[in-house]
Amino acid sequence: MRARKLSNEKEQLVTEAKAIQIGVPKESMRDFIKEVMKMPGGEKILECIQCGSCAGGCPTIFAMDYSPMQIIKMINLGMKEKVLSSSTIWVCSLCYTCATRCPRNVDFPTLMMSLRNKAIRENLVNNCAKSNFHRYFFEVINKYGRMHVPELFVKLLDITNFNSLLRNVRLGLRLFKTGKLQLRAPKIETSWVSSMLEKTDQE
Amino acid sequence: MKYAFYPGCSNHSMAKDYDDSTKAICKVLDVELFEIPDWNCCGSIDAVYSFKPLYSIALAARNLAITEKMQMDLVTPCSACYFTLNRTNKILREDAGTKSKVNEALANLGFNYNVSVRVWHLADIILSDIVLQKIKEKVKNQLTKFKIASYYGCYLVRPPEICNFDDPEHPTHLDELVETLGASKIDYYGKTRCCGASLGMTNEELALKMSKDILLSAKNSGANCLATACHLCHLNLDARQKDIESRFNIKINLPVLYFTQIIGLALGIELKQLGLQRNWVSPKEI
Amino acid sequence: MSQKPSIGVFICHCGGNISDTVDVTRVKEAIGILDQVKVSETLDYLCSNPGQEMIKNAVREKVLERVVVASCSPRMHINTFRQVMKSVGLNPYLLEIVNIREQCSWVHGDKEKATNKTIALVRAAVQRARYLEPLTPEKLKVTESVLVIGGGIAGIYSALELADKGYQVYLIERNPSIGGHMAQLSKTFPTFDCSACILTPKMVSLSHHPNVKIFTNAEPVLVEGSSGRFKVTIRVKPRYVDLYRCKACEECAEICPVEKPSSFEENLVQEKAIYIPFKQAIPNASVIDKDYCLYLTPYLAVLGPPGKRGVCARCKKNCKSDAVNFGQKDILLDLKVGAIIVSTGFSLMDPLLIGQYSFGFHPDIITNIQFDRLMLQGLHKPSTGEVPKKVAFILCVGSRSETASGRSYCCKIGCMTAIKQALLLDKAVPEADPWIFYTDVRAFGKGYEEFYAKARGHLTHFIRGRAAEVIPNGSSLMVKATDTLLGKQIEEQFDLVVLSPALVPNKGTKELANMLGIDLGPDGFFLEVHHKLKGVETKRQGIFVAGAALGPKDIHETTMEAMAAASKVATFLGRGEKSVSPEVVYLIPGRCNLCGICVNQCPTKAISKGKNEVIINPISCNGCSICIPVCPKEALDLKNTTDEQMIAQIKGIAEGEDTTPRKIAFVQKRTAYGSVDLGGQNRRSYSPEIRTIRVPSMARLGIKHILHAFAAGADGIIFVEGEDSIFNEDRMRERAMLFKKDLGKLGIHPLRLQPTTTTLPQYEKTLVLFDNFVERVKKMTPITQEKREEVKKCLESEKIIE
Ligand SMILES: Cc1cc2nc3c(=O)[nH]c(=O)nc-3n(C[C@H](O)[C@H](O)[C@H](O)COP(=O)(O)OP(=O)(O)OC[C@H]3O[C@@H](n4cnc5c(N)ncnc54)[C@H](O)[C@@H]3O)c2cc1C
Ligand code: SF4
Ligand code: SF4
Ligand code: SF4
Repeated sequence: MRARKLSNEKEQLVTEAKAIQIGVPKESMRDFIKEVMKMPGGEKILECIQCGSCAGGCPTIFAMDYSPMQIIKMINLGMKEKVLSSSTIWVCSLCYTCATRCPRNVDFPTLMMSLRNKAIRENLVNNCAKSNFHRYFFEVINKYGRMHVPELFVKLLDITNFNSLLRNVRLGLRLFKTGKLQLRAPKIETSWVSSMLEKTDQE
Repeated sequence: MKYAFYPGCSNHSMAKDYDDSTKAICKVLDVELFEIPDWNCCGSIDAVYSFKPLYSIALAARNLAITEKMQMDLVTPCSACYFTLNRTNKILREDAGTKSKVNEALANLGFNYNVSVRVWHLADIILSDIVLQKIKEKVKNQLTKFKIASYYGCYLVRPPEICNFDDPEHPTHLDELVETLGASKIDYYGKTRCCGASLGMTNEELALKMSKDILLSAKNSGANCLATACHLCHLNLDARQKDIESRFNIKINLPVLYFTQIIGLALGIELKQLGLQRNWVSPKEI
Repeated sequence: MSQKPSIGVFICHCGGNISDTVDVTRVKEAIGILDQVKVSETLDYLCSNPGQEMIKNAVREKVLERVVVASCSPRMHINTFRQVMKSVGLNPYLLEIVNIREQCSWVHGDKEKATNKTIALVRAAVQRARYLEPLTPEKLKVTESVLVIGGGIAGIYSALELADKGYQVYLIERNPSIGGHMAQLSKTFPTFDCSACILTPKMVSLSHHPNVKIFTNAEPVLVEGSSGRFKVTIRVKPRYVDLYRCKACEECAEICPVEKPSSFEENLVQEKAIYIPFKQAIPNASVIDKDYCLYLTPYLAVLGPPGKRGVCARCKKNCKSDAVNFGQKDILLDLKVGAIIVSTGFSLMDPLLIGQYSFGFHPDIITNIQFDRLMLQGLHKPSTGEVPKKVAFILCVGSRSETASGRSYCCKIGCMTAIKQALLLDKAVPEADPWIFYTDVRAFGKGYEEFYAKARGHLTHFIRGRAAEVIPNGSSLMVKATDTLLGKQIEEQFDLVVLSPALVPNKGTKELANMLGIDLGPDGFFLEVHHKLKGVETKRQGIFVAGAALGPKDIHETTMEAMAAASKVATFLGRGEKSVSPEVVYLIPGRCNLCGICVNQCPTKAISKGKNEVIINPISCNGCSICIPVCPKEALDLKNTTDEQMIAQIKGIAEGEDTTPRKIAFVQKRTAYGSVDLGGQNRRSYSPEIRTIRVPSMARLGIKHILHAFAAGADGIIFVEGEDSIFNEDRMRERAMLFKKDLGKLGIHPLRLQPTTTTLPQYEKTLVLFDNFVERVKKMTPITQEKREEVKKCLESEKIIE
């Protein structure tokens, strides 16, 4: 079943690539490539020779809809929407295995972070990442200047997935029991946070 | 030896054991750590960085700017902070535009950062020739029963242009330590594999599988203990071990210790001071 | 030759090609009244027999000493008219040709203007002709022997070829035996010849050849002299065994107590400290590795492995022919040679640099050359000696990589080698299972695609995807990769993993290039002059390169290059005498103060420092003239394009009564001039204000020439450099910038100087630039007569701002 599904996806990819090449004006395709090349991590995408060593060593590839190398190819074909809404950019664990080995210096994980940013801004975030983790994390940091694990924990608890809920609650309890978890919120001077945010928030 | 100490959020809020053992061994080894006053979040590898890149860089830069005033090198026990702080240094060094924007934001807080702070991982310092020599001199217990699989994970060694604690494919520094302490080192597949820590909260399922692979490969290679140098890895490998066992229906039961705890044991420091009671998978058996 | 030589001018109608657009009679009259002009004639078809006769008769009757022919491009008929000169006893270099067809009548419509331009061009030629000097090609003696550096297949082949042609050849090889990499190979793609079987006969015939002297354990240390007459000092390291006495019985090796890894066997096998590199080695004699010998390295005698300590010398005591000689020392030898062939080959990158393949972490992860050795030793796993069945071949290890430790280029032989080895494995081992992890299979070349097809036919697994990592896993090895065509990640266990490391320049390549004064390319290999047309020549005359020293390649290409280099050497050395073009740089006596600036600038190393003055080697000099304007003492000049001749010509073109503005285009004499001619052949018209002067390259021009042009009446200058010129675009523009600055200081608009480069077919680009330039200058305020006087004064006061 799985194999069948894979090949379906593949076909779809090919058709789409074709459509892009034929249907989409070259200009808008170029626009996306140019945009990506300006992002941190995107500088070298045209260098990619599709050798596959990134895909070969990636520890999370089995959960990605497109492999790292396919994402690069898709960027080079200008498939903006497909790329930004892919699960790959959220599944990547940012382990830098691929970047360390890429013979053409493509910095894939850094690019993934840039694409996450873009996907959030363009509201194209894939379902697998709908948990709003990034936003919550940011809110906590913004509030305390530091991480406050319990608060983030609670914000993130996914009530829809019972197993995961259970596991996470247990994890929290476990940490608490061993006395590792600090329940008290960090107390540092935070008046500067808002001023800093103001200066650095570009969008 | 004096260093500005940057504990990092998670060290602070959920890794008391790491913190304690670090402080305990540093005392014995004459490494003086001065906690950076009023430090803040390092900017995070991904969470804040992907959401608001410049803000994240500025967060990191604030810590570095404070450290610059202290005129010391910075030391952090967290591999993730090690990565972000070094990444920030690299970006600010190479990209003048970002540097000026960040300094503008810092100016409001009364700082200006000149990118002069060197960032070390705690392991860098502890495994430097001088300290290692001291460890050798002060070892009380030979840890002969320990078969230790050293776990490097990602950000100690990758990407090498930012984190260069050791060779990215075949690191050996921790193994050298292991041998110094009289324990035997275990070579195994998972040494530099990713534990999925960054996915821990977003894609837990995936993180569990990745950590499982590491634990199993260490176990199967004959390890009776795993040494880490990062509490994010520790969280995934230790605190989540029970979850892994139940999720995949297997038995692993592999104690995961911080390298500082292991040193502490060899130096004969009291178990309590090392926070060993806080480990979820108990190392008592060894 | 009189002080004021008499000049004859002949203007061609070219059957209307010229005379329809140019009023030749008016030209004839205008020129006829010039000083020293004894004859000014026009005729239809000067190149025809009657035309040639007319010139000859005029020379005889009027005792002409210089001849100016105004006709088609010199590229067409210079040799015809030089022949005419010779037949009446005049030196061919006393002839001047004016191109009034391709660069005048064919490209202009306005008869008045074309005629005025023609008058200016011919007048310039006449002025130049006043200063022409007779020149004869010099005959120089060259040493009729050749040095070949590096005894791989490239060196062996070219040495044999040259020795057969009768030249004395010295072949030096730094290893104890010649043969290079080819000696180590098993079978060779794409034909499966046994490498040793085709190589060793060549090695033997070389060693027996009366014209060849082989030095092994030898390297060059100093190169002196110049093209055609090099003196090369070589250092021959001691072998500690007398070559002539040694009978190669190898009894010494049996009793030698020390073992060391064999470098010929790529460290897969141990050999003794006294050893013969391989069975068919040439010279076939033992050699002692000093670093391992207990006698020669005394500290080993004390600190060596227990039981083996103590001063040894067992081999010496045992040798029946008394061949062992511990007293040998380094010998320095001077070789006199006319030409040099560099054939130093390649080496393999250390795969340790590409950490993910775990080379060095498991004995069964090996390189492709080790696999070739294993094939010859009897295929086995280095770890256990078992026969491997499932073997992974990982390609592009370090090749095609932009990383710090990688190489950006393709290794060129990796794919074919892996295919070859997969087929060999398939033949040697029942149930063999070869997997090839490739990025792209590159199977160009005769018979290669078929070879690839054959491997597919034998069910070799071809996995498209560069392997991600090799993980030692107890007795087996795991390879992780993605089959990029299926989009599937794979993890497979193998008995043996074979890596194809990048091919890199041999150790010492940089030092050798410095020693020889030749260039390396960005890849670190030696650089040829022209990738397509001068593939084995270096920028230094008389030094050639062949084989893998130029870059990765297979044996076929290597031997082709070796023969090409040999042929080039034979042409270069001729019969011991070399005829050199007289158009080279010479030294004006008494000016040089040995500042050495020119020595560093010369791209062909033709200039060297002598006792009181520099010395110029006319064989090496190619007349590019880069040295001339940089000399602060103005001590250098170029024959047939002397300063005197050039300034006379510039003045001739720029002066004159007619009021047309004039721009001088200095055009590089080969490609660029041909390109402008091509514009003429296509009748692409442009402004008659453009007047060309042919120069060897823009490097010839100094600020002096530019100022003379403006002083005499030019109102704009264009540089048209050929893209193939040694004076490349960057250097030309750099120099033009300096000129512009100087012009600015004198109050002449810097945009009145316009540099450009061109290739032969790109004439349109040049001519469009001509048009635009004319338009642009039109918009500037004209240069006043006072300004010109000022410039003239500046020139006279010698206050040139160089
Ligand atoms: C594993 C492997 C398999 C191959 N299989 C094939 C095949 O099947 N078919 C095929 O066509 N090609 C094959 N090749 C390619 C082939 O080996 C080369 O094309 C060929 O060896 C190039 O010959 P060369 O003489 O230019 O260089 P080399 O063989 O490298 O010889 C250079 C020689 O110069 C000497 N030298 C270097 N520097 C100095 C110095 N400063 N002074 C004196 N001496 C010096 C070296 O010691 C060496 O002996 C293979 C290559 C490899 C690595
Ligand atoms: S490793 Fe680099 S070059 Fe190869 S496919 Fe991936 S991104 Fe492209
Ligand atoms: S950084 Fe992301 S894409 Fe690259 S190997 Fe790690 S998980 Fe895979
Ligand atoms: S020849 Fe083949 S193995 Fe070698 S670099 Fe080129 S593509 Fe890779």
